[in-house]
Amino acid sequence: MTGTSTRLSLGPAIVTLAMALLAAAIAWLQVAPALEAAPAAGYDVPRMVLLYSTLPRMATALLAGAALALSGALFQQVLRNPLASPTTLGISAGANLALAIATLFAPALLGFGRDLVAITGSGIAAALVFMLGARRGFSPFSLVLSGLVISLWCGALSAILMLLNERYLISLFIWGSGSLSQQSWSIPLSLLPKIGAIAILSALIIRPLSLLELGEAGASALGLRIAQLRFIAVAAAVTLAAFVTSAVGVIGFIGLVAPTIARLSGARRPVEILVWSTLMGASLLWFADSGVQYLAGAMADFLPTGAVTAVFGSPLLLLLLPRLKTRHRILQGRTRQAGRLAIGPKALPLALVTVILAVLVALFIGRAIDGTWALPDASIASEILGLRTPRVFAALASGAMLAVAGVILQRLTGNEMASPEVLGISAGATFGVTIAVFAIAAPGLASQLGFAAFGALVVLAVIFAFSVRSGLAPERVLLAGIALSAMVDAVVGILTASGDPRSFFLMRWMSGSTYTIDGITAITASVAAVILIATAFSTRRWLDILPLGPQAATAVGLPLTSSRLALFGLAGLLSAAATLSVGPLSFIGLMAPHLAREAGLVRALPQMAGAAAIGGGLMVLADWVGRTVVFPYAIPAGLVSALVGAPFLMLMLRRKA
Amino acid sequence: MAALPARAEGVPTKIVSLDYGLASTMLSLGVTPAAVASLADWGRWMVEPEMPASVIDLGNSWEVNFEILAALKPDLILTTPYLDTLLPRLEATAPVLRLEIFTPETGEILPAAIAATRKLAAAIGRADEGERFLAGAEALFADCRRRLEPLSPPPLALVSFMDARHARIYGAPGLFDNVLRKIGVENAWKEESNFWGYQTIGIEELSRITDPRARLIAFEPLPGDVLPKLDQSPLWQALPFARPGHFSVVPPALMFGMVNEATRFASIITRELESGS
Repeated sequence: MTGTSTRLSLGPAIVTLAMALLAAAIAWLQVAPALEAAPAAGYDVPRMVLLYSTLPRMATALLAGAALALSGALFQQVLRNPLASPTTLGISAGANLALAIATLFAPALLGFGRDLVAITGSGIAAALVFMLGARRGFSPFSLVLSGLVISLWCGALSAILMLLNERYLISLFIWGSGSLSQQSWSIPLSLLPKIGAIAILSALIIRPLSLLELGEAGASALGLRIAQLRFIAVAAAVTLAAFVTSAVGVIGFIGLVAPTIARLSGARRPVEILVWSTLMGASLLWFADSGVQYLAGAMADFLPTGAVTAVFGSPLLLLLLPRLKTRHRILQGRTRQAGRLAIGPKALPLALVTVILAVLVALFIGRAIDGTWALPDASIASEILGLRTPRVFAALASGAMLAVAGVILQRLTGNEMASPEVLGISAGATFGVTIAVFAIAAPGLASQLGFAAFGALVVLAVIFAFSVRSGLAPERVLLAGIALSAMVDAVVGILTASGDPRSFFLMRWMSGSTYTIDGITAITASVAAVILIATAFSTRRWLDILPLGPQAATAVGLPLTSSRLALFGLAGLLSAAATLSVGPLSFIGLMAPHLAREAGLVRALPQMAGAAAIGGGLMVLADWVGRTVVFPYAIPAGLVSALVGAPFLMLMLRRKA
Repeated sequence: MAALPARAEGVPTKIVSLDYGLASTMLSLGVTPAAVASLADWGRWMVEPEMPASVIDLGNSWEVNFEILAALKPDLILTTPYLDTLLPRLEATAPVLRLEIFTPETGEILPAAIAATRKLAAAIGRADEGERFLAGAEALFADCRRRLEPLSPPPLALVSFMDARHARIYGAPGLFDNVLRKIGVENAWKEESNFWGYQTIGIEELSRITDPRARLIAFEPLPGDVLPKLDQSPLWQALPFARPGHFSVVPPALMFGMVNEATRFASIITRELESGS
């Protein structure tokens, strides 16, 4: 090694060593009592647990951490995308869903073919992500957007499977959230050769990968077959993630955090990044898992470490964000005019008619007691309508609010992926409600709303702070939003694993169930929707001018900071009020503004009106489908809309190529 | 209560149950429920008594389908403290009978289940059938005890596996523990459990059961991969229960049930001990 590269490598070496030492110290605290105890005759519990649970668990943590980090580093290197990782590209979620489906419908597949099932799932997820990404020249954003969409879709479907098989899938749930709990050496011993083989393959492609740094033209000139190289690297990364998911479930964020830390601590050349990421991933997961076990004590086995890594990984990422060099410039989206679906002036009335039809269907068509589709029987029509009305109108109001919030955020940030869900604003609201549920014995509607708004506004304040400092580099905002959403998911996952009944309420609510909505909630949501959406309509001039850039805005005398602040605040309130009824997962805030624009509604006011109608209508339909399709059981509206919305959005993305 | 006529006027006949134990008790009192919550899973957790095909599924017990309740217009809804969040809405729909069996204050479950059976029987005008049913259950327990006594049965540890590493183990004051005492079998697990009657443990903790005769009974349904994984697990293989003849898997019996589930449990255990020793 040359002098310069040694100097450069010092940073990552120190960070890795520090992390490993910390992990070792905590691990020693766990191991020491078992070693010091006098050996007992017969079944020596401390020794047995040390040998067949604690130590294999550590080995598994090291291997899984290394594999995920290597996978993330490979993705980031080959895609030249600092946001890429098994988590953000939907690879782990794909494997997880495939395993959940196999567990339910083809358990015979799982014995020997477990890895194959996982690889199939993650491979399909990867293929979809790249198919969508390829159309946009593999721009980092479109890849991560597709990845997120697929991740959410897989997550929603897994959640539905879980809800419909609640009692049966308890273990699947614990495992799905990434539990490293072990009862023998079989998992680490089977992971070792698999991961080792792929690590060797990765070592072989390091040199050509380094050449890729020269840029595609330069690399081709040197005789590199870029497509082939890409395929090998991506296949290796996908397989690594699938092996880990198959063995221990989804371990969130290690694959994103480890390479990020490696780069931030000074790793530059591809070989450095790959090697140090791998080592850091190993010590990071070891540290996280030892910490979890040490702090959780007897509960440790039930705490999904994968969720814990997300809780710790995401704030770390938030802290590091300002230091992240935006090496990869975002392809500035061409200011697109109306999409291909452009319907023209008829779009708005058409959207309104559709939403009215949706409401009528949701109110009047349902399943009778014997399961047949029917209008409510005249004798009980008023009771049935009394049951359906609050849910329908809460869904309508919430969908509309999310859609308008989405329009505001997309116009404000110039980021077509901005939406309450993606930016983490819904996650902030969820966080607020979580605090309310755990801090107040029985939070009423007003305090839930207050806490939700507080959470949403805190997230927005953070986004705004970023936007002031860095001109709102979409990359950072998006990364922060992903981090926050994952964190909230993880916190709720942990609470649920703890078995606290309040967490059960949270989980149901997060899935967007309208079951508990009563008249008062529905009226509150509707009133909030009318007031807030009317306010949003009144800001149409700002929303038309702000996307044209700061110069244009200042030229027409628009107060830049205060108008942005006001709009962000409005979007936050809209998101909070909506999240309260339909949960944070719904996807409507991303989908409806796109659909409105596709339909030809380009200016702010018509786009908001169209999006509100589309969003409200979609949410109503989602609720209706959820109530009727597995009657008398129910699927939460938020999950249905995510399940239906995701493929739809992918279709849209494909058309935009 | 005994003074009540067997079929009084105005006694509820169209009854729905949100609880498996209460629904199976109704069947034993000779009344078919109009609807039962989570009926789709009945076969997986209850098996018997068989639910007549006419009974309607009310949907998930946490999210009871109120549209069905509105259409059914039941005379009575049977519920438990477990579903108290639904109580205000249920009460607005129809008369509700809330029977307490599993609460932190209950203590011993079987006596509470017997008392709840009497209350239920009285409320639906089946007091005589209730007494006959309870007497039948006592006779069954006594019969099991008589059959087991000469076998001098080993102490039993009762578990449901959650995965290959963790299990729920049933102890005092749970339903299973109560029944074991009734039929003269020792519960090998001596520790106090929560008011539902179980405790969640790692399988290595089973080594705390020191009686060399003790046997381990696991209930169906087992998560799919548990048995193959136990086979590979040194933690399990080193336990005395891994020796041949010390571990068996038996058909499902609902641990959160009432008298019917208690007699089903007693019969399963008695049959198992008679065949296995």
